[in-house]
Amino acid sequence: MSDILEVDSVSKSFGGVRAVDGASFRIGAPGIYGLIGPNGAGKTTLFDVICGRQFADSGSVRLAGVRIDRLRVHQRVRLGLARTFQECRVLEEETCLDNVLFAAQDKNLGREMIQTFGRSEAYRRTAMAEAERLLDLVNLGNLQAEPAGNLSYGQRRLLEIVSSLIVKPRLLLLDEPASGINPTLLNMLRDFLLRMFAERQIVVVIVEHNMEFIMSLASHILVMHQGRVLEEGPPAAVQTSQRVIDAYLG
Amino acid sequence: MLPARTAPLLSGALFAAALYLVPVPFAGYPYVLFALTLTLCYAIPAMALNLLLGYTGLVSLGHMGFAGVGAYVTAVLMKHGIASFAPSIAAGTLAAGFVGALVGVPCLRLRSHFFIIVTLAVGMLLFLLFNNLDWLTGGAAGLPGIPRPRPLDLGFAVVDPRRPVGIYLLAATVFVLVFVIQYALVRSDFGRSLAAIRQDETLAASRGVDVFAHKLTIFAISAAIAGLGGGLQVVFLRAAAPQSFGLLEDINLVLIVIVGGAGSLFGPSLGALLFVALPEALRVADAFRMVLFGAALVALALFAPRGLWGLAAAAARKLRSDESAVARVGHS
Repeated sequence: MSDILEVDSVSKSFGGVRAVDGASFRIGAPGIYGLIGPNGAGKTTLFDVICGRQFADSGSVRLAGVRIDRLRVHQRVRLGLARTFQECRVLEEETCLDNVLFAAQDKNLGREMIQTFGRSEAYRRTAMAEAERLLDLVNLGNLQAEPAGNLSYGQRRLLEIVSSLIVKPRLLLLDEPASGINPTLLNMLRDFLLRMFAERQIVVVIVEHNMEFIMSLASHILVMHQGRVLEEGPPAAVQTSQRVIDAYLG
Repeated sequence: MLPARTAPLLSGALFAAALYLVPVPFAGYPYVLFALTLTLCYAIPAMALNLLLGYTGLVSLGHMGFAGVGAYVTAVLMKHGIASFAPSIAAGTLAAGFVGALVGVPCLRLRSHFFIIVTLAVGMLLFLLFNNLDWLTGGAAGLPGIPRPRPLDLGFAVVDPRRPVGIYLLAATVFVLVFVIQYALVRSDFGRSLAAIRQDETLAASRGVDVFAHKLTIFAISAAIAGLGGGLQVVFLRAAAPQSFGLLEDINLVLIVIVGGAGSLFGPSLGALLFVALPEALRVADAFRMVLFGAALVALALFAPRGLWGLAAAAARKLRSDESAVARVGHS
């Protein structure tokens, strides 16, 4: 059984700056993993390399044993990778429900063409119940007919995460989900993620600056510093690690 | 209240019925039928462009060039008696789609504003070909003497495309076909993926949409439909002229779509009616036409960014919500 996510000596430079410098880690078991590090540690770049927004200069990324580091974004997604964006992206003109249903839709071009003239809506009916249940869990149930552009920033975040989860990914990557969210929504987000993890048993990797949030949510923390993975372990161990303290204060 | 799915079907059926009944009052007015047939010939490429501009968010400034490909292929095949109407226009449609795909492969990788410039160049390039390949297209003089299709015996009636009513009915049939295709495409999973690309390409890709393949497919389909409209136009006018597919017409087509309402099903048809039939009706104001259009465009950009159809739809929605508010108050 291969690891769910395997990042092997990934490097990425921008001009003379080595943003990621031989970062390696493996995630073998389902869990909520926190990826933290001081500013400029290379978290976002590594995240982009895993998602396909950037290509690594060297090294490899494997998802459930399949090399994905040369694949295009949509191909990685079809292998079971889902992500959210730091800047939070939703389809603003579509309703909340349509946002979630669109995420659940089969985007294979050939099957879409058949659907155009066959007009089967079967998957929408199947996905509907699950979409409504997840929207209810994050208190968006009564807003499901509202265009996503009318939601508050925090609500959009929740919608984005619900949309990412409806496809039942193997690996969910969240880029700073707590930024710009008020404490009430943050608690709801934490409860929602814990509940979904309990249901799905997938790998969730969260890049986060909000230490209180990530330490209370993650079962495992990866600390990046100067483009490498410096330390990994349970939150309590990482918080007392001298190397981590030096990296943050240094 | 009608169920959500039957309401558009019903309005579509009424629209088609009205279209087919137009010759009843106007059978004695060939000029009216001429203007309306020409409108339909423009509405088809306008719907094609709407699929790109309104639904996918791709601006193509050279779309009449693809219409020209369809037009000249149809014209050459029919003029020289190589094929009859149906196979000729089918070949024209396919040829335009093929050229669209060829152009799309390199161009669709470009970012939006570069893409717009390149489509403009492609439109001008195609015009140069139409205008200069004298042995094939007749050059600047055009290709006159294209025969109309033979009469079609439907059993209960004979449709003769050599007469104004007949060609109008033929154009209306092609128009309805394209309208149905437009409807099917935008209200499908494929259409939803296109809408996602328009709103946020990065997000669409991260939801599993192959953005490039989707753009290429809709670009080729759109070019093919434009070619169909071009083929219909030359059969109607009985001549192919390069100016019909030049830069001015490219711009005109974009205006038709934007003024009519990009991203709405009826917008392009409304725009075509406004830009083709109305100037025909207001020939006296010909010189002022562009001035008026310019002013209208500024007003639209300011007050109705979704075009006239979008303006009408918003007004209808507001009216309905006011009514339901009144009804709610009445019941409570």
